[in-house]
Amino acid sequence: MNRSTGFAFIAPLLVLMVVAFNLPIIYMLGLAFWDKGRGFTLEHYEGLLEAPVYLRVLGNTLRISLIATIANVAIGYPLAHWMRGLGRRARLIAIALVVLPFWVSILVRTYAWIVVLGNGGLVNRSLQWLGLTDAPVQFLYNELGVTIGMANVLLPFLVLPLFAAMIRIDDRLLQAAASLGAPPRTIFWKVYFPLTLPALAAGTLLVFILCLGFYVTPAVLGGGRVPMISNLLDTLINQIPRWEQASAISTILLIVALVIFAGYRRLDRKASA
Amino acid sequence: MRRRTFVKAAAASLPSFGILSAAQAQSKEIRMIESGGLSGDSIQVGYIDPLKAKTGITVVRESPSSLGKLRALVESGQGGTTLFELGSGIVQQAKKLGLIEKLDWAAINPAPMFPEAKNEYGFGYQYFSTIMAWRKGVKEPKNFIEFFDSKAFPGKRCLPDFPHYCLPFALQSTGVPIDKLFPLDVDAAFKRLNEIKKDVAVWWKAGAQPPQLMKDNEVQYSICWSGRVVGDPAFGLNFAGGKADLSYIAVVKGSKPDDKLAAWKLYHEMSLAENQAKAAQVISYTGPSPDLDALLPKDKLWQYPTSKQNKDVQYFENAEWWAENGEAVNKKWEAFKLSL
Amino acid sequence: MTSTPWSRRLLAAAGIFGLVFLTVPLLIVIPMSFSPARALTFPPPGFSLRWYQALFGDPRWMEAMSTSTIVAVLSSVAALVLGSLAAYGLRRGSFAGRDWAEGNFMSPLIVPTIIVAIALYLSLAKVGLLGSFVGLVAAHTVLNVPLVMMVMGVAVRDFDLRIEQVAWSLGASWSYTVIKVMLPNLAPSVFAAWIFAFIGSFDEVIVTSFIAGKYETVPKKMFNELILEVNPTITAVATLLIAVTVLALAAVTLVLGRAGKLGQTLVER
Repeated sequence: MNRSTGFAFIAPLLVLMVVAFNLPIIYMLGLAFWDKGRGFTLEHYEGLLEAPVYLRVLGNTLRISLIATIANVAIGYPLAHWMRGLGRRARLIAIALVVLPFWVSILVRTYAWIVVLGNGGLVNRSLQWLGLTDAPVQFLYNELGVTIGMANVLLPFLVLPLFAAMIRIDDRLLQAAASLGAPPRTIFWKVYFPLTLPALAAGTLLVFILCLGFYVTPAVLGGGRVPMISNLLDTLINQIPRWEQASAISTILLIVALVIFAGYRRLDRKASA
Repeated sequence: MRRRTFVKAAAASLPSFGILSAAQAQSKEIRMIESGGLSGDSIQVGYIDPLKAKTGITVVRESPSSLGKLRALVESGQGGTTLFELGSGIVQQAKKLGLIEKLDWAAINPAPMFPEAKNEYGFGYQYFSTIMAWRKGVKEPKNFIEFFDSKAFPGKRCLPDFPHYCLPFALQSTGVPIDKLFPLDVDAAFKRLNEIKKDVAVWWKAGAQPPQLMKDNEVQYSICWSGRVVGDPAFGLNFAGGKADLSYIAVVKGSKPDDKLAAWKLYHEMSLAENQAKAAQVISYTGPSPDLDALLPKDKLWQYPTSKQNKDVQYFENAEWWAENGEAVNKKWEAFKLSL
Repeated sequence: MTSTPWSRRLLAAAGIFGLVFLTVPLLIVIPMSFSPARALTFPPPGFSLRWYQALFGDPRWMEAMSTSTIVAVLSSVAALVLGSLAAYGLRRGSFAGRDWAEGNFMSPLIVPTIIVAIALYLSLAKVGLLGSFVGLVAAHTVLNVPLVMMVMGVAVRDFDLRIEQVAWSLGASWSYTVIKVMLPNLAPSVFAAWIFAFIGSFDEVIVTSFIAGKYETVPKKMFNELILEVNPTITAVATLLIAVTVLALAAVTLVLGRAGKLGQTLVER
């Protein structure tokens, strides 16, 4: 195939992407620099500096995203590792169970947590029945609730690539290490874990980026106590409406996401190499 | 889909209406964006259906309404939507931003209505109250001093995630009477909110949240919209110190003249007490006619925002003050939210 | 490696916890949809089909279903055709800016959805297409492209170039090569990509809420319902969606044949 035919194949999609994706984003980004009747302006960015509250919401978003990402790794790594050791059939079922929620409405899953984790919910009733707690534990309407909800939605994004990397690790390599007398712990930390590290890092960054744009979960499970940038943007777009300010904030968020994505691409290449 | 085909068929089978409207060049179908839910249904039953029966004009509803949507409609210059529902404070803002048009009150020729509802830029069509409510079985507060006193009235609270609700209620809890609330002492209000925020479990954004949270026993006391809790035996409520507010329906800037002619007809229907009584059966909010009380069921008068006994104990939203100070307060509110 | 029984048990516990954590919301929703209660309660106090009756008896839900289906069919097919062509062009071609183009096609997955929503909202408003059907389908197509690229990129890469070259060298035309040689081989992946794009569109809520105007899709209606009133009808909708998803995934598994291939398609990007 020559150069021009290769390009001919991507041309139709490229046209659509430019018209329905790239141009709208550029237009939105440009809005922050534009003022009706006066032309170019930086006032909307200056507005951000004067009212650092918006930047603090961004900071809060980064913090919550970090917490949710850590929770994801804490649950996802052992899960993927366990799945690697399963038999063929069990592994298939496990993959299906990981994939299934991937495709069930975020809304539904988020609301299900209210029933599971509420004061009169399944978990609290079980805890009290077991005598572990006297008063209900406040799982919802705080950062914990948002973290649980976000971790649940994003877990497949971490587990699937991690699992893919883990099944590529040759068992003979681990057996060789064992035959040389290395204790299991040493094998795990010196041989196995380093081999999964690139995929882990890439998956972690992907999850972190996806956390940044979360909208439904903080709105429902945060009880209004967990300000996230998406919800602030919604307010600025729909309620106030200060689109130019929203555009300035979006630009900063986009830059943060793209910088992290650049890191992800580097690690992802390493992981697949 | 099916309804629209039906409407078309019905319109076609009534040629006389076609002649009538052709004479006035008024549109047969206009579009409205309203806030949705039961409130939207009440517009349908109370005003749109009677209009359809009398004139053959169809009003197509879409929801929800937000100021951002209105700005998008106007800036894109599309004349598709004529009517837009806005809160009282938002009408001022929309006027300032040049997003809505003056109403032609002469053409509307309304039946008698309360003066505040007859705004130059909007038709105040629905009174609603924001009040205190609680889960049955807890100690019942009589005013906002007691409502916020978590020592004497133990339990979790659920407050609106909107400063224009929370600040006046917080001020009342420091002893400010309802006729002295405005101009708002913003700093004092935030100081009080900082004292009580530890008792607030949820700051709600959606009107459905507080009743559900009280039912789930996640919170025991709420500040919520009256229409969400009246008539439900699970809740107790009190209008004292509550906020009476008015929702408006405005005309989108740049609407077509023919569409506006049809809109004036709908506004006229909205001013009629008998139509407002129909709407009040769908949702416990009331229209702006002074004659409405007589048409409402006597045993339910206590549920409505504007019945005598309730109107006297509430304060009225001060839209002008919020139009002046809203933006500064919003930023302070975001900062306050970060401190939760 | 995890040789002591204790560590093995600990790992199994952690793994099972992870799976339960993932699936618990689904396991809750299904029984709740058969509950006779007005409020969301678990366990349900009895058995009833009232929420299914409410769902199928409500023309607005039915209209949302048909809107969702139409939008999902159109946008998934558009994304599938354009995305597959592009995936092929990217793998087989070599031209300037190839990496850039690939990154750009994947970016709807990476750019926070709220930003895509806002950008589309503002620019569709500018050109007067806000709330239009064309705008909605175009937006869903763009959002589906990365899903198609993920699956088809792997499929084209794994497809043996030599088979193609043999066909070419035997004098087969390009269209003959595609229809008779490539498509039968790639059909399972094409099907998988289409299903993913379809479900991706059927489940989209953020962008749709911003730009759909009078068009109600199932998730948009669900989100609006939840804001206005917590109504158990949504659990019936959710159960139906879960059922459709399970059937679709089962179909993909069947078509792709071996489990390994499904896993591979799902985990490799």
